[in-house]
Amino acid sequence: MEDSTWIWILRFFGRLHPLTVHFPIGLLIVAFFMELFTIGGKRQPLREGIQWMVYLGAAFAILAAILGLLLRTYDDYTGDLVRFHQNMGIAAAVSVALTALLLRITLKGKLSSFIGYRSALGCTVIILGTAGHLGAQLTHGEDFLTDILPGNNRFYDDSKAVALLTDLSPLDSLSEAQQDDLNLEVRAILAQNCYQCHNENKQKGELVLDSKRGVFKGGKSGSVIAPGRTADSELYRRITLSPNHDDVMPKKGKVLKDTEIDLIGLWIEKGAYWSDRALKVFPEAPLALSKPNLPNISGENHPIDKLVDVYFEEHDIDWPAVVDDKTFVRRAYLDIVGLLPEPGKIAQFVRDQNPGKRNVLIDALLDDNTNYTQHWLSFWNDLLRNDYSGTGYIGRGRKQITDWLYRSLEQNKPYNLMVKELVDPTEASEGFIKGIQWRGVVNASQRTEMQAAQNIGQSLMGVNVKCASCHNSFVSNLTLEQSYGFASVFADSVLELNRCDKPIGKMAQVNFLYPELGEVAAETLKERLRLLSEVMVKPENGRLYRTITNRFWKRLLGRGIIEPMDEMDGTPWDSALLDWLAADFIATGHDLKHLIKTIMTSKTYQLQIAVYGEQQMVKSDAYIFQGPLLRRMSAEQFSDAVSQVVAPVYHAVSYTPQKGELSSNRIWHREVKYDRDVLPDPGKRYFRRTFTLANKEIAMAEVLISVDHSYQLHMSGKKVSQGTDWRKVDKLEVGEFLSPGGNTIAIEGTNEGSMAKPAGILFAMKIRYADGEEVLIQSGEKWKSTPGPVDENWTAPDYNDTNWANAKDFGSRHWDALVNFKFAEGGPNFARASLVKQHPFMKALGRPSRENVTTSRDEQATLLQALELTNGVYFNQVLADGADRWLEKYGNDKEDIVTSLYHSSLGRKPTKQEKKVMLAVLGTEPTKEALQDLFWSTLILPEFQFIY
Amino acid sequence: MDINNSRRDFTKKMGKASFAAAATSIPTASFLGSCNSVPTIASKADTVILLWMAGGMAHTETFDPKAYVPYEKGVESKRVLSTFPKVPTVVDGLHFSQGLESIGSVMDKGAIIRSYRSADLGHILHTRHQYHWHTCYEPPQSVQAPHLGAWIAKELGPVSPVIPPFIAMGQRFTVGEGEELKAFHSAGFLGSEYGPFLIPDPSSGLDSVRPPQGMSLKRFEARYKLYKELADKSGIMERGSDYQRESLMRSMEQSYRLLNSPEAQVFDLSQEPKKVYDTYNTGRFGLGCLLAKRLAMNGGRFISVSTEYEPFLGWDTHENGHLRAAKMKELIDRPIAQLIKDLDASGHLDRTLVILASEFSRDAIMEGRPGEPVKDQVNQPDIIENEKFYGMHRHFTNGSSIVLWGGGVKKGLVYGKTADERPCSSIEDPVVIDQVHQSIYHALGIHPETNYTIEGRPFYTTPDGQGKPIMELFG
Repeated sequence: MEDSTWIWILRFFGRLHPLTVHFPIGLLIVAFFMELFTIGGKRQPLREGIQWMVYLGAAFAILAAILGLLLRTYDDYTGDLVRFHQNMGIAAAVSVALTALLLRITLKGKLSSFIGYRSALGCTVIILGTAGHLGAQLTHGEDFLTDILPGNNRFYDDSKAVALLTDLSPLDSLSEAQQDDLNLEVRAILAQNCYQCHNENKQKGELVLDSKRGVFKGGKSGSVIAPGRTADSELYRRITLSPNHDDVMPKKGKVLKDTEIDLIGLWIEKGAYWSDRALKVFPEAPLALSKPNLPNISGENHPIDKLVDVYFEEHDIDWPAVVDDKTFVRRAYLDIVGLLPEPGKIAQFVRDQNPGKRNVLIDALLDDNTNYTQHWLSFWNDLLRNDYSGTGYIGRGRKQITDWLYRSLEQNKPYNLMVKELVDPTEASEGFIKGIQWRGVVNASQRTEMQAAQNIGQSLMGVNVKCASCHNSFVSNLTLEQSYGFASVFADSVLELNRCDKPIGKMAQVNFLYPELGEVAAETLKERLRLLSEVMVKPENGRLYRTITNRFWKRLLGRGIIEPMDEMDGTPWDSALLDWLAADFIATGHDLKHLIKTIMTSKTYQLQIAVYGEQQMVKSDAYIFQGPLLRRMSAEQFSDAVSQVVAPVYHAVSYTPQKGELSSNRIWHREVKYDRDVLPDPGKRYFRRTFTLANKEIAMAEVLISVDHSYQLHMSGKKVSQGTDWRKVDKLEVGEFLSPGGNTIAIEGTNEGSMAKPAGILFAMKIRYADGEEVLIQSGEKWKSTPGPVDENWTAPDYNDTNWANAKDFGSRHWDALVNFKFAEGGPNFARASLVKQHPFMKALGRPSRENVTTSRDEQATLLQALELTNGVYFNQVLADGADRWLEKYGNDKEDIVTSLYHSSLGRKPTKQEKKVMLAVLGTEPTKEALQDLFWSTLILPEFQFIY
Repeated sequence: MDINNSRRDFTKKMGKASFAAAATSIPTASFLGSCNSVPTIASKADTVILLWMAGGMAHTETFDPKAYVPYEKGVESKRVLSTFPKVPTVVDGLHFSQGLESIGSVMDKGAIIRSYRSADLGHILHTRHQYHWHTCYEPPQSVQAPHLGAWIAKELGPVSPVIPPFIAMGQRFTVGEGEELKAFHSAGFLGSEYGPFLIPDPSSGLDSVRPPQGMSLKRFEARYKLYKELADKSGIMERGSDYQRESLMRSMEQSYRLLNSPEAQVFDLSQEPKKVYDTYNTGRFGLGCLLAKRLAMNGGRFISVSTEYEPFLGWDTHENGHLRAAKMKELIDRPIAQLIKDLDASGHLDRTLVILASEFSRDAIMEGRPGEPVKDQVNQPDIIENEKFYGMHRHFTNGSSIVLWGGGVKKGLVYGKTADERPCSSIEDPVVIDQVHQSIYHALGIHPETNYTIEGRPFYTTPDGQGKPIMELFG
């Protein structure tokens, strides 16, 4: 518009808006209250006053709305908040006009009651209030009200700024230390208020405030700082503008505090010195442990209890009750060995009169090395991103550390040594820092060296390096340079910094995240790793020990002393407790079992569970410790418990701690499409193996056989056995089928189903002659196979199979090692879930795919999980297997079935009522189906699925 | 089924459980930079069907044919641009490769993007490109990236209470690169609740949504009743009301109701008339299209049907390319065309977006893309003396086709172009995966800057929330 004389009038009127808005608000609110007084026909004399207030209110509201529109249009207000305020304001004007109209109609007698008008008035007041509030936010800033609420200034505490202002303002010249302090405080203010838009990535207005270069380079409109001349500095001008000015900074209705503004002013005035010291904006936990002294509490003996007693005292909490023996024994078993206690063991424990029996049990369980290892292995696999299958293995871009880990746990290797071996690895433990390498080019922030830095940061040190591997972190003090410096420890060559995957022409300098702990720079990779491993495990690095202690506490009591556990700069609910535990852990030789023992022997661990209504509460900072949480069994604990009670859930393991005598692999007929080996199609295939026996007396001949899916075994022309379940190993005495000279094994195998899928025969035969000589025949590529058809003579030793092909060795990867595929007796009859390859059933129950470090599993029940438990083929098969076994064992004894089931699964006998319900289901003669349903109903019970 | 009705039903039946679950999931929703509510976009579709041509479908042999050079002994490899003649489609001037006549006949209801450019990830690994296509992120990532379907499930939830919002059909994980396939068939950090409901064999899809095999409905109900009774009688955890226990009990109830619901019959392909069944039945992929149709008509949200990836099989032709492409076209042509016709006839195509795509294309000569050579994975002779070498056997990442129908897509549109001479690269309006995802989100009304904060990092549907939908696609 050319005619600027007009504009100033419009702008002037527009600026009357803030004045006029107060009239309708005042008038209508008073009208509303007076209206309330007249309800029920009382105080009629008020009516005339109310009437005028409403009419006047309406007039002013409409006026205010019009002026508001002028203000917005000619004073250039934009943004969401303005838009909302505008819409609300217009709505208010419409609403009040309507109210006035309704009142008029009602008073004229056209409406019989005041209800319509009164409701309209009510609505009007609410809309007006909202519009007014939004307007106030525009004028005073959105956090005008909230920023004085306690606890609402999470990071910036201005007491330091106030102190600096008082100390430094009067001085003529500042010392270097004072300059440093002043600058760092100013940068802290910039970080809290400006970085979000003015960082290297966003660069709003081409201005960057998170680096020296950026601050002094300025933005689109030139330099922003004029050292020594506060008033001439654009930055200072912007932060001191009125909050509704177009140019004001920060945007979004935020306003700096006066102390903040003054301090920035002072800094510029004193020459805008830039300190070389690194800025630490975010709270950071001290590295060293505080080594708290134990309080002198006469009532408590255990150090943890002494500390918790003080905590309870401070929080006005009475000690909750300790759990009874039955509950304790179940908890202790599940926590140390991951299995349910056998019913006999529970009874024995309860009967035991020894007052120290709980400590005795904890010791005994910790001494059960195999089961301790096979339970805790899952925790470490999650933490160290180790698994038996997953991405990366395909191109040798990933390596397991299972054997190293298993041995370390079995030997209870001191934790500092474990850390050293992870960081400065042997061949057996190098998989951890090797990371996962996919074929092809990867993002700079995901190169394996960076993965090593991220994983060590997260798993071992409780610090988030991930954010800082792309750009300076927005959630911690870590910088891109620090991350690259740390990653360089693991690199063969010097790394170039990449910001958001773009090289920035700067080379990294080798360092550790916490340089105060010691130097890690060295010529060779090997030397750097050695230095790092030594620096990391120093007792001065309390953070390392705090992190693992906190994780163990969470594992045993359900919630960490600090949460989230991967951000160890958070606030512990009891720092003395955490630091004491970590210090004690160091003092007692970094002994992980000792740490478990220390926690579990405390009364604190043995308290009954604390009940919380909401998960948010438990995860939040407002959490108050009142006892252990109710925990859901992990996928592995649940599978193993079902294996113990009902039937083996898993039969084969991916990792075998002890190598057996057998090396049989699965074989099947080789199938080819387009010149390539493919998965076998469904159907029957035929297999033969001929062998010659010496003319000697045979003392023993045994066969182990398992075929996916089903088989018929013939030896020397006679049928020996058949089977339909590859997970079961059939163990057969076959001496009668053998004779000196030529013999044949002939197997008809069937690959069932409708799609091509892996199939395989696993076979081993051991023959011992009377003179002690042994012969071992195993499935392998020497076997012959054909897709058929075959004539009836195919099982005979003299059958001519020369035109059959050699069978293909399918290895055992797809099936893993069956725990029962061994000639020796004894040992567990089910596969511990921790040794089993990731499987859909466990995945549904929350076992993570270990592509990334996982430090806490999702414990919340989900629908997919419930579906898996309700109609999952896999789980139902286990129940069916179990029904067969139980019927075989207990026959018709219904009482026995019901009692045994409760004893073995819940560790108690059923109540009368429970018994009645279950017996009714079993009917007169228990069927397989009834038993399955009984199992299901019991295993799904919260009482079974939770550790309480 | 009336979609609105069932939606209300869902809220009624499951509301409490889902809200509780949503409130406690670890990632926290955020829209950086906007403290106020997020502007909503009007949606054009409720349902997405992804027809996944796994293994690298050559554009020059399918939807973007070039000069046909018939096989003869001694033909030069470099002359072979297409091994099939062109055939016209129902759209004027739009030609497909021979063998796709049926799909050509429904192109008046769809659009084609001819200029998709895959990422350059260096040495080719199919599953890595597939991971990138489905999640929009290049693996590895420091947190697990969610599948496109999981984002949609998370943002929009199920349409019908009995149909899981993310269903993936046709792919088995027992094949080569199975672990890599699993890595992106995942809800990642969004939580397993939004993960795929896997149906490797569409003809047995019903098994996943009814009581366990061999269990009568009566027994199923009795079993649940027994559990409830025992749970009520167990006095162990009576003290207070713990959120853990509550959520477990609720999820069991939810699952019981789902499996007990008659609507699950939608998974039963045997209810289709034989003639219809036979039209679709070209194998598992065809039956997948049939099930996708039933799901889309009855409250499916995101449904993918894959021709299945198995190294060196399917579209992954490393030899006999011509012969095998012909077979693959037989597999897809009839069922896809029928799917579009059926959805159109029933009126569902308007609110269903159907997309056909592949991780990259193939070429007889070029591995990777011009200017970014990667290691050749197949030996291709200069002179073809054996028909085995006649076809597209190398991985080409600089141009491929995406076909779309329904969901507000402009009918008959041809977007982008590839060169007619080798290398047949995208030369007009090149499209990258971020745009494809954002176009799908746009059709569904999901805000382009949707993100969650995980481990301190805002994680967007497309990297840094910078992807833009291709607005020209929509009418």
